[in-house]
Amino acid sequence: MARIIVVTSGKGGVGKTTSSAAIGIGLALKGHKVVLIDFDIGLRNLDLIMGCERRVVYDFVNVINGEATLNQALIKDKRVSSLSILPASQTRDKDALNKENVGKVLEDLGERFDYIICDSPAGIEAGAMMALYYADEAIVTTNPEVSSVRDSDRILGMLSSRSRRAELGLEPIKEHLLLTRYSPKRVEEGEMLSVEDVEDILAIPLLGVIPESQAVLKASNAGEPVILDTESDAGKAYQDVIDRLLGETVEFRFLLAEKKGILSRLFGG
Amino acid sequence: MADGSIEFKGSSFTLSVLHLKTEKLADLREDLIKKVAQAPDFFYLVPIIVDIERVDNSIDYQGVKLLVEEFKFTFVGFTGTVSKEQKKRIRELGFSFVNSANSSANNSVNNTAKVETPVNPEAVVQASAQEIIPAEIAPQLELYTDKIHRGQIRSGQQIYAKGQNLVIIGSVSAGAEVIADGNIHVYGSLRGRAIAGAKGHHQAQIYCQNLEAELVSINGNYWLSESMEQHWSLPAYIHLSDTELVSSKLI
Repeated sequence: MARIIVVTSGKGGVGKTTSSAAIGIGLALKGHKVVLIDFDIGLRNLDLIMGCERRVVYDFVNVINGEATLNQALIKDKRVSSLSILPASQTRDKDALNKENVGKVLEDLGERFDYIICDSPAGIEAGAMMALYYADEAIVTTNPEVSSVRDSDRILGMLSSRSRRAELGLEPIKEHLLLTRYSPKRVEEGEMLSVEDVEDILAIPLLGVIPESQAVLKASNAGEPVILDTESDAGKAYQDVIDRLLGETVEFRFLLAEKKGILSRLFGG
Repeated sequence: MADGSIEFKGSSFTLSVLHLKTEKLADLREDLIKKVAQAPDFFYLVPIIVDIERVDNSIDYQGVKLLVEEFKFTFVGFTGTVSKEQKKRIRELGFSFVNSANSSANNSVNNTAKVETPVNPEAVVQASAQEIIPAEIAPQLELYTDKIHRGQIRSGQQIYAKGQNLVIIGSVSAGAEVIADGNIHVYGSLRGRAIAGAKGHHQAQIYCQNLEAELVSINGNYWLSESMEQHWSLPAYIHLSDTELVSSKLI
């Protein structure tokens, strides 16, 4: 059985799609068969971040409606062959999905892949509920600021009450906290919540802390997920996330503000 | 004569009964001190009936009433299987005599106007063994059972313990709401709203290990966060004194 992982947050713009892309590629690079599904119907983004926007012919909604087969809609990643992307439709809206049909597609995908990563839309409406409904695990993406933390808290409530696992009384969804856009310097200055603050409020295990990084924007625009930028802090932090997802114990990095020496200042380390 | 503005109805209540085994007020006081010290809040304003079956008419009825009131009980009346003379004396002194439902004595007229809690002649009285004071005295008019929730109460979630106390083993997030007809215990942080005694229960209480609530309310009296500064981010215990909320240090 494939592990179905939803990347969710409640709030928009916190890094769900960036994280989905990084985690998808990271797992595939470890040799696993991975499919990334964009649940943000109408606001298709994942294909851009993955750099495959020109190769979209059929989409998730076409598959749901029986207008295309999975084989026709799945886009194989050009960098990592064990990774596929199922893009969202840009022309439909989120009502195009229903539980039954999504369940059928996930079941079919489950036979071919080890990991199904569901990139959730923002909000707590039907689209987001659909993305998390079948999940086995959830990566709750949160920025270290109060509104994002509160929205994540809300989503955690949904995970424990509105998912399939909750409805059937199965073992609850395994929850992971992924803190993104973390700036140790601003935490020290008291402008940002610290890792400890967020952990205290949300009370779920920490999967990773991704530092705020110029590399992320650059990567998004280039369609090259940031995890492939092995020189950047963000890339390294996502690498750690993958190792932790696969059960390894990896020490957390990038939690403290860097004391820059004169050399690194000059050469922009 | 106006009609319809009031209505008399019979109703049963569970009340605590204090059984006396001696007429000596000094001895009674000594034992009461020990008993009440074990759980002062439990007995606060608890309506109480005093059983005088095992003492004789020489007892100072007024003294007994003042004694229990001194310990912050709400005195309701006397009860027990006693002689007609004794009953008469009690009535003459202006006290209620309450027959328990399982006593065979005739119903006496019950003067409930002067007591806080209306008591029916057929008030259900707690059975008790041979002790001076029943080991378990009802802490409130009604004994609530507990609704226990393990885990966080997340933003947007609401839990209502109808006719129960609510025990949360976890934290209550900002934007969450916990409501109980009885008491609320939070073994974690209380950051959302807590509403105890929702159906009008004056003695309801709220306990939490870390008070950072948006709102706490007991029996309709509420506080917003700004009123909680004194015990902010500390373990706290909130209760009602008359119509004012009071917070105290929990440990």
